[in-house]
Amino acid sequence: MTVAAGIGYALLALGPSLSLFVSVISKKPFLILTVLSSTLLWLTSLIVLSALWRGFLPLKSTSWWPYGLLIFTSVAFQEGLRVFVWKGYMRLEDILNTFADKVSKPRLYLTDKMQIALAGGLGHGVAHAVFFCLSLLTPAFGPATFFVDRCSQIPFFLVSAIIALAFVTIHTFSMVIAFSGYAEGNKVDQFFVPVVHLVAGMVTLINFASGGCVIGIPLLYFIAILTLIHCGRMVWRRLIGNGRTQGNL
Amino acid sequence: MAQNSKPTGVLDSLGEEIIRIIVPVSVCMFMVVVLVSVLNSSSLSSSSDSVTSIATIAYAETSTDSSWDKFVGALLNSLVFVAVVTVVTFILVLLFYLRCTKFLKLYMGFSAFVVLGFMGGEIALFLIEDFSIPVDCVTFVVILFNFAVVGVLAVFMSKMAILVTQGYLVLIGMLVAYWFTQLPEWTTWVLLVAMALYDLAAVLLPVGPLRLLVELAISRDEDIPALVYEARPVTYNDLDSMGGVAQRRVWRERRGENSDNSSNYNPNANSVFAETVDSGSNSTLNANAVPASNSDSNTLVSERNDATLIRVEEGRVPERDAEPSTDSTPLLDHRMNFQQQQQQLEDAVSSENLMLEGIGLASSGAIKLGLGDFIFYSVLVGRAAMYDFMTVYACYLAIIAGLGITLVLLALYQKALPALPVSIALGVLFYLLTRLLLEVFVVQCSLNLLMF
Repeated sequence: MTVAAGIGYALLALGPSLSLFVSVISKKPFLILTVLSSTLLWLTSLIVLSALWRGFLPLKSTSWWPYGLLIFTSVAFQEGLRVFVWKGYMRLEDILNTFADKVSKPRLYLTDKMQIALAGGLGHGVAHAVFFCLSLLTPAFGPATFFVDRCSQIPFFLVSAIIALAFVTIHTFSMVIAFSGYAEGNKVDQFFVPVVHLVAGMVTLINFASGGCVIGIPLLYFIAILTLIHCGRMVWRRLIGNGRTQGNL
Repeated sequence: MAQNSKPTGVLDSLGEEIIRIIVPVSVCMFMVVVLVSVLNSSSLSSSSDSVTSIATIAYAETSTDSSWDKFVGALLNSLVFVAVVTVVTFILVLLFYLRCTKFLKLYMGFSAFVVLGFMGGEIALFLIEDFSIPVDCVTFVVILFNFAVVGVLAVFMSKMAILVTQGYLVLIGMLVAYWFTQLPEWTTWVLLVAMALYDLAAVLLPVGPLRLLVELAISRDEDIPALVYEARPVTYNDLDSMGGVAQRRVWRERRGENSDNSSNYNPNANSVFAETVDSGSNSTLNANAVPASNSDSNTLVSERNDATLIRVEEGRVPERDAEPSTDSTPLLDHRMNFQQQQQQLEDAVSSENLMLEGIGLASSGAIKLGLGDFIFYSVLVGRAAMYDFMTVYACYLAIIAGLGITLVLLALYQKALPALPVSIALGVLFYLLTRLLLEVFVVQCSLNLLMF
């Protein structure tokens, strides 16, 4: 595709994350470091998964269940990794609080903790968009474009950019929900995230059927919006509750 | 309202120094990737294959050789290159020992001029050719000459705006890195690994030339001549800053570093070019057009030699000679810079070492990174760009992670550390893993529109 179209697709997938980055994350250097490390972590998990599945690829493209298995194992692995990320984050929080005490600054606010979670989620989302969408865009500059048989109404790059946008949203905000759930011990939130991730992954299997992307992608967006709303409500509830206990924010 | 009286949290400024060094490294890598993809995608292939330099003396790779031949040839090339670099560094140590600083500085200025003028000129010519930019010879020469001269001034006369100095340093790193990516593929990779190993040996072994250089510089309280990128120091303006001085000392402070050092940068040269005199085949110091290959290897050698150390200063008193720029070291090092209020030159260094509970971030201080590190990181990423962009992203993340790890190790060990090994190791590892494993996986999933 042309360079202009390529930039358009890239911005489609990464535009909201870019604005989130510029407005929230770039103000605090620590959050930039968090984004970079969580991107690296997601990449490592992807490499481990590809190492596991390398022997079985390329899969036959006719039946859907090997792909289903692939997605299931990948999501399970990544969600398991999220628990480890949470444990690592607890230690980081302790270190930061000790440091804050040492330099006689206030300890981490609730908003700080949520921002760290947001940065972590953004790192995951950006990693997804970069590796699943952008890395296929950049070698393909040129006069023509590429269509996939299964979804032949729009170019392949546009489809993958749209799907990537949905996943970026899901990844970014599920980290906030997950961390808040682990911190509060809220079972609903703790289970919400893996379930949503798994369902989103499985929904993309619908794309496997010919013409399935017409159904699959709106479903995916429904899930993304659900995540967004749930996260918004949870954050609102916590901040209001926190504000009441502290008198001011 | 209550908002205004809320004190700033600890998250607001933590990690700023690291970001200030990661940004220029990323910019340099990005520009090299852009150059590589723009100039290589065009059908401009003839000149790039014929780059001959020290790095390809032993073996010139052709595409018809078998993998084993290529590997052995690359190994020979790298051994030759590392040997040359070692010899040259020892010569540099000798010259430094004999106090030939003027000569070193002059040579350094000359090498910067060559890089900016000739290498920059060649790349500019490629670009002009590719994009059919209408510009005539006279204008081009005038602009190029001015560009190179300003670069030499920026790099040596430390009273330039710090942004200009930093920009020119990144540019020099980028130009040299681009020429290195023109080497044959196997040679590049083996060379990177060989240089990382050399760096490790040269800095950590007791007989390593870089370690000797550092110790010599410390014992004399002088600065090592080299090209160094220096990030701006971070100053904290807090309400309780004056009261909290004692608590914020997390590194050993340097004696005598005062605020105007932030705008100084001392790229005392590296006389390594003396090497060209002995290796008869490379007679570089010609006034006529130096073949890019020769100048490339030479300049590279000059810069990378002292440019790849990391260390924490141990309270040296820098030599206040005529030059205003008395910053030191080609190494990565931390300085305390307390709000323009510096300890006196003879202050006793507090040898207490309040390490920051394992995070490894100085509360305030500037970080310096040698230009050789910039160059080799960018070479790795540039080479990855020649294959595919997925490898670029993976290698970029790996290198940044390696840089972070090196900084943490620096915080832990408080001594001279090489900056190359961890990053190059991670970069090469991730490149191989991505190329062999990840790409197939991701392309398979993406083409079937299955994502997670």
